[in-house]
Amino acid sequence: MKKIFTKFSVLTFLCLLFLLDVAYAQNVTVKGEVRDDQGLPIPAASVVVKGTTNGVQTDANGAYFISAPSNATLVFSYIGFNTQEVAISNRTRINVTLTTATNDLQQVVVVGYGTQRKIDVTGSVGTVKGTDISKQASPNAVSSLQGKVAGVNITNSGTPGASPQISIRGTGTIYGNLGVLYVVDGVWFDDISFLNPADIESMSILKDASSQSIYGIRAANGVVLVTTNKGKNGSPTISYNGSVGYRAVTNQVEMANATEYATIINELSASNGATPLFANPASFGTGTNWYNQAFRNAFQTNHQISVNGGSEKSSYNFSLGYTNEDGIVKTQGYKRYTARLANDFQVAKFLKLGYNVSGTSINTNDINGGIFRQLYAAGPVVPVYYADGTYGDANDFSLGGGNNFNPQVTLDFFNQKSKNYRLNGNVFAELTFAKNFTFKTSLGGDFGQNEMRGYTPVYKATQGQQNNVSKLAVNRSEDRNWIIENTLTYKNTFGDHNLTVLAGQTAQRRKNYFINSTALNVPYSSDGDLYLSLGSAADRSVIDGGNLTTYVSYFGRVNYAFKDRYLLNATLRADAASQFFNGGDLWGYFPSVGAGWVVTNEEFMKNQNVFNNLKIKASWGKVGNAGVPVNPTTLTVDQRAGYVVVLGGVVYTGANVNSLVPSFLNWERTAGTDIGFEASFLNNRLSVEAGYYNKKTEQAIFNIPILSSVGTVGSEMLGNQADFRNRGFEFLATWTDKTESGFKYSVSGNIGINNNKVLSVITGSNPIYSGGQGIANGALATRTVQGGAIGQFFGYKVDGIFQTAAEVAASAQKSAKPGDFRYVDQDGNGIIDGKDRVVLGNPNPKYSFGLNTTFEYKNFDLALDIQGVAGVDVYNANIAYRFGNENFSKDFYDNRWHGPGTSTTYPSANVGSTANSAPNSFYVEDGSYIRLRTVQLGYTLPSTLTSKWMTKKVRFFLDAQNAINIFGYKGFTPEIGYVGSPTSRGIDASVYPLSAAYRLGLQVTF
Amino acid sequence: MKTNYKKSYIQKIGLLALGSSLLITACQKSFLDVPPQAKQPAVTFWKTQDDATKAVNSIYGNIRNWANTAFPALAVESIGGDDAEKGSSPNDASYLNAFDNYTVTSTEGQLQGFWEGQYQNINLCNQVLDNVPGINMDANLKARYLAEAKFIRAYSYFRLVRAFGDVPLRLNVPKDPSEFNIPRTPKAQVWAAIEKDLDDAAAVLPQTYPAADRGRATKGAALALHAKVAMYLGKWDQVLSFTNTVMTMGYDLFPSYEAGFRLANENSVESVFEIQCDLILNNKDASNSQYSQVQGVRGTVAGWGFNVPTATLAAAYEAGDVRRDATIIFRGETTPQGDAIPATGDNPMYNQKSYVPFSLIVTGYTEGSQQNVRVLRFADVLLMNAEAANELNNPTLAKSSLNRVRARARGGVAGVLPDVTTSDKDALRQAIWKERQVELAMESDRYFDVIRQGRGTAVFGPKGWAAGKNEVWPIPSVEIDKSAGTLTQNPGY
Repeated sequence: MKKIFTKFSVLTFLCLLFLLDVAYAQNVTVKGEVRDDQGLPIPAASVVVKGTTNGVQTDANGAYFISAPSNATLVFSYIGFNTQEVAISNRTRINVTLTTATNDLQQVVVVGYGTQRKIDVTGSVGTVKGTDISKQASPNAVSSLQGKVAGVNITNSGTPGASPQISIRGTGTIYGNLGVLYVVDGVWFDDISFLNPADIESMSILKDASSQSIYGIRAANGVVLVTTNKGKNGSPTISYNGSVGYRAVTNQVEMANATEYATIINELSASNGATPLFANPASFGTGTNWYNQAFRNAFQTNHQISVNGGSEKSSYNFSLGYTNEDGIVKTQGYKRYTARLANDFQVAKFLKLGYNVSGTSINTNDINGGIFRQLYAAGPVVPVYYADGTYGDANDFSLGGGNNFNPQVTLDFFNQKSKNYRLNGNVFAELTFAKNFTFKTSLGGDFGQNEMRGYTPVYKATQGQQNNVSKLAVNRSEDRNWIIENTLTYKNTFGDHNLTVLAGQTAQRRKNYFINSTALNVPYSSDGDLYLSLGSAADRSVIDGGNLTTYVSYFGRVNYAFKDRYLLNATLRADAASQFFNGGDLWGYFPSVGAGWVVTNEEFMKNQNVFNNLKIKASWGKVGNAGVPVNPTTLTVDQRAGYVVVLGGVVYTGANVNSLVPSFLNWERTAGTDIGFEASFLNNRLSVEAGYYNKKTEQAIFNIPILSSVGTVGSEMLGNQADFRNRGFEFLATWTDKTESGFKYSVSGNIGINNNKVLSVITGSNPIYSGGQGIANGALATRTVQGGAIGQFFGYKVDGIFQTAAEVAASAQKSAKPGDFRYVDQDGNGIIDGKDRVVLGNPNPKYSFGLNTTFEYKNFDLALDIQGVAGVDVYNANIAYRFGNENFSKDFYDNRWHGPGTSTTYPSANVGSTANSAPNSFYVEDGSYIRLRTVQLGYTLPSTLTSKWMTKKVRFFLDAQNAINIFGYKGFTPEIGYVGSPTSRGIDASVYPLSAAYRLGLQVTF
Repeated sequence: MKTNYKKSYIQKIGLLALGSSLLITACQKSFLDVPPQAKQPAVTFWKTQDDATKAVNSIYGNIRNWANTAFPALAVESIGGDDAEKGSSPNDASYLNAFDNYTVTSTEGQLQGFWEGQYQNINLCNQVLDNVPGINMDANLKARYLAEAKFIRAYSYFRLVRAFGDVPLRLNVPKDPSEFNIPRTPKAQVWAAIEKDLDDAAAVLPQTYPAADRGRATKGAALALHAKVAMYLGKWDQVLSFTNTVMTMGYDLFPSYEAGFRLANENSVESVFEIQCDLILNNKDASNSQYSQVQGVRGTVAGWGFNVPTATLAAAYEAGDVRRDATIIFRGETTPQGDAIPATGDNPMYNQKSYVPFSLIVTGYTEGSQQNVRVLRFADVLLMNAEAANELNNPTLAKSSLNRVRARARGGVAGVLPDVTTSDKDALRQAIWKERQVELAMESDRYFDVIRQGRGTAVFGPKGWAAGKNEVWPIPSVEIDKSAGTLTQNPGY
């Protein structure tokens, strides 16, 4: 106690000395204006007396006045500009021109619970500006990150408005909450599809463990900090931003036409020893192209209006947004309305209060999830409609169970609409006291309601598509989440020392509740009249459920810099999670430390002129993952409908215990080490960042298969089962320059190289098989095993096609037929069995890269972004996923084996047989792609013209997203994520097709 | 003054922060102790009679699921026989052909499904047998519940041992992960466990239930299943004694062979044990038996058309045998319930024993999910009685039981299906086996029955059946993989 007191006294003494020092000089009032290099005023720029917290902000005209000692130095700074220090030297008027920060190191970076000068950052943080995000033709902000930050891998889904899958530095978690943590203005989210990208000021991607660990509890898969637009000092600025355009399928897969289809199906029947289904294939002509029938050029439009302004006492930002995007499949639609208000008040010099509040309403018209499979499988011999206007019926063509449907019927009779309402935000109070202390308390909330209403009318369209009891399903779910955070920050500069200490405490509660209900025989007059109460009373059903998790956490951080040369950052977070309250280690502790050396600030570097900046940095940290179900160690009772039994006409409930739980569960932890450097050369025109990371997930939590003889449902049990490692390099180089003729340009390339490896699995050398979803017969196409990557494709290696019966007889596959795959007998024992399976590919991308460029000349501007991945494989599960007479792709038709000598690579039409459809190398293809992600051409009207219209800026733009895609994969898109778990990554089981968007837009600022 | 104002502010906010921190710290424990949501913790289960009832109900609910009654069960227990083949469209689920021509390999998914399905039944039974004894409840009811669980456990092990030979034997819920990976138990021990369970069950189970419990396992069911087990083991004296007992318990043949398989006559006087299935409106998940759907006439509202009768079966009936038309739906016929079967289609014949008239099918639900699966019928008991009597040199009893079955098959027409009169042991045995073929056709009896009779090569050899290998199916390779070699493969696979 005494010791602490002594330390405190020393600190106080130092502070007093400092105050005294300042007090010796006489105060003067300095006025002036801050402008950018084009002469435009910079509002809300920060003007601080160096070495103190005495500071002001510029007003809307860039003007400021400040009282300061006449011998002091003023520090002018603003995000995106180089900070400038100017000695007052007894002047009273100082005008400053800030130059655009081509050197990132001068920038301020948003980090966990605060901001840091980029120069002080010792971890790895990627930043994307709001202007770059809103430039993208995606209603989802996360989509816009694709190709922007090294090591961040985005997999888009194609569904309008849907969130993409995102992984930062590889796959580190394979169970539970796999996504990154989004922190929007201090409130935690798992998904930010409710956000209007135009409302975002910046996004910071915390990539390394040392910068993540302050969010210990949920940071294992990375953290994305989102800062939304805030009010800026000055008279109101009104901005309008709008676009119209359309989206169309690209790289559409061509299917066999009707004649080809009939031909190949006859071959299939023959190979199964049956009579041909079609007497005269040629009579069908080209038939129906089901893709063309279902796809369309989908309209999209987007409008956003915002008002921004403020004074010294308060500032505000208000925005309204509207997005309307149709899906590329007919009937699918997405509409989003957003409203956001940010307001803060300087109540007193030492007290600031504020709030951000955002409301979102999303309405969607949904499509049947099976439609893509149907479009692939549907028989082209079946017409959409018969001449009499009735639906073409696959049953009339005896196509059988595999494709006994007409996709148009599915589109016409699937009536499902979803509504999503969200209200979220936070209120905060910030108190500055005793000069160097800031106490901030923030209460955030997120309230959401999802409503899905599906109606199946009575209809008879085809033999296989009919319904004789109408059904209404209404599902609702709601989220009620809150988070309270208290932080105390001490910030001081004394002499050559720069010290910031942060201590904080937080608690949060996340609750989800859902209720699903159905009723039969609900009459239909209009969508608005659909009520469960109108259905038959005898057989309504209702089911509900939910999830509740709570967290309590404490955290602290110290940032110390000496002479801006030697940097030290250290954090510690302690988290308690309800998941681990019973049968787990309740508290997880997540430390981190980072160090940096700004070489260019050394005396001995003063005279060199190679580097404008050179920083070497290294860090280490630990983060956790609590993304597991509540109390996973609590055994529960299953009262499923499948256990209901009817005895003598009486319906009885059944319930039993059919699972196993681990007796104890640890936190899943990830420890990461980073080393890297940042450098800039040639007058800051070239900047380079490079880094190496080694990230190890320890005691990963997931289900591991257990013997079926234990008798549990799913035959698996949760536990701390494996260690994974992701390590790799990241490299970023940016060249920015401006010619004398006024041509400004920037070219920035980034690449991330990641290697994923399973270090150990609890089953030892015994692998975990997965990836059965969407694969023929549910065969498991991936394997996760010690020494390999997570979820590698695994199966037989094809070394040809059996041409003749004699060839079959001489092989290890005695039951094969000519036209079947010939597999490599790896162990050479004359039998093809499970032991002959080998690794066929890796679905985890090794390389992900982006090239982002901007060009400006006079009133024209052009942005061109290229992005891609390489060193990745995908599995085409569509080919062999067959139950009968499903269609084939044109590629398969053209190349198939149909008699000796016709093909040595493609099998016969009987590709769906058990032996042929077993996971094998034929289905594994290179998943690399490169694409023109965005190209945008803009033209800004001359200010001489616009000023007459009372406008500050008028800009038109034309842009295209995904206009050019280059890949070798034979499916719709190699951009394939995972369903369920990353152990099943890269399997194309009827993925949403790739589409390109084209827009014409207008931006006006008043 | 200003400072005071400032100070009080700081104090207030400081106190608030301190207060909230303390509050959270104080409530931390209760704040973090979150119960499972919408799920009952198992520690609160197994407390009341109601819990025991629900747990036993779950066993009956589970045995109608996909693995127990649809593809996995039909693949493993039916398609191998000469009465049934894959059916459906030739290109649909062609992997099922491997069960018809015995080219099945250990990776075939139906093997895994069947294996897993049976062990899931066994786990539900073991849960009851481990936990219900500790419940304070009506002692008679408790004893009955335990006996019901033992019956289903025995039934599930019977299906496993018949299909795979040696299988891991679990008679308790594993308590510790070290008990998960156990080797295959020699089949003699598995059979012994089945016999013990059935003895225990028969000693306790009642012969009849009140209407609202109809369908639960009875004493007759336990004895009849035990007789069948004994028949597979060649314990003919036991077969005879158990069947003799069952024959005194009030069972009889249902007058109409065809009508006995219709919904209205479920749990009839002939029924010894049926898997209870139903259609509950607006409860699709509880209306989940796909037994009728997968076998329903393809190209109609009824289903998918798998597991269809063979020409061999159609030819096996004697002239005038009503069972032929009652077992086989022929393409182009009109069923007794008035459904016109399309004259064209993939298959000339479909299984009529799983048939649900089209008017009773509700779209949006599993087609024919109401249809009970006839597991043990009194006709089977009579034929087992006949076979045992013949083996024990009592041809009079053998013929009496056998001819009782044949009598019904005449459908009231004199002069067809004459009584079997021979007393020659071998000829009588052949007659009984033949009768089993036609009487129990398409009821998943034939395949293992022929193997039991030691005639696998003779009957199935032409289809590719090989002695020394095909008596049992391969152990699913997934299980061998998961066991890291603790489980071994059957010879020849």
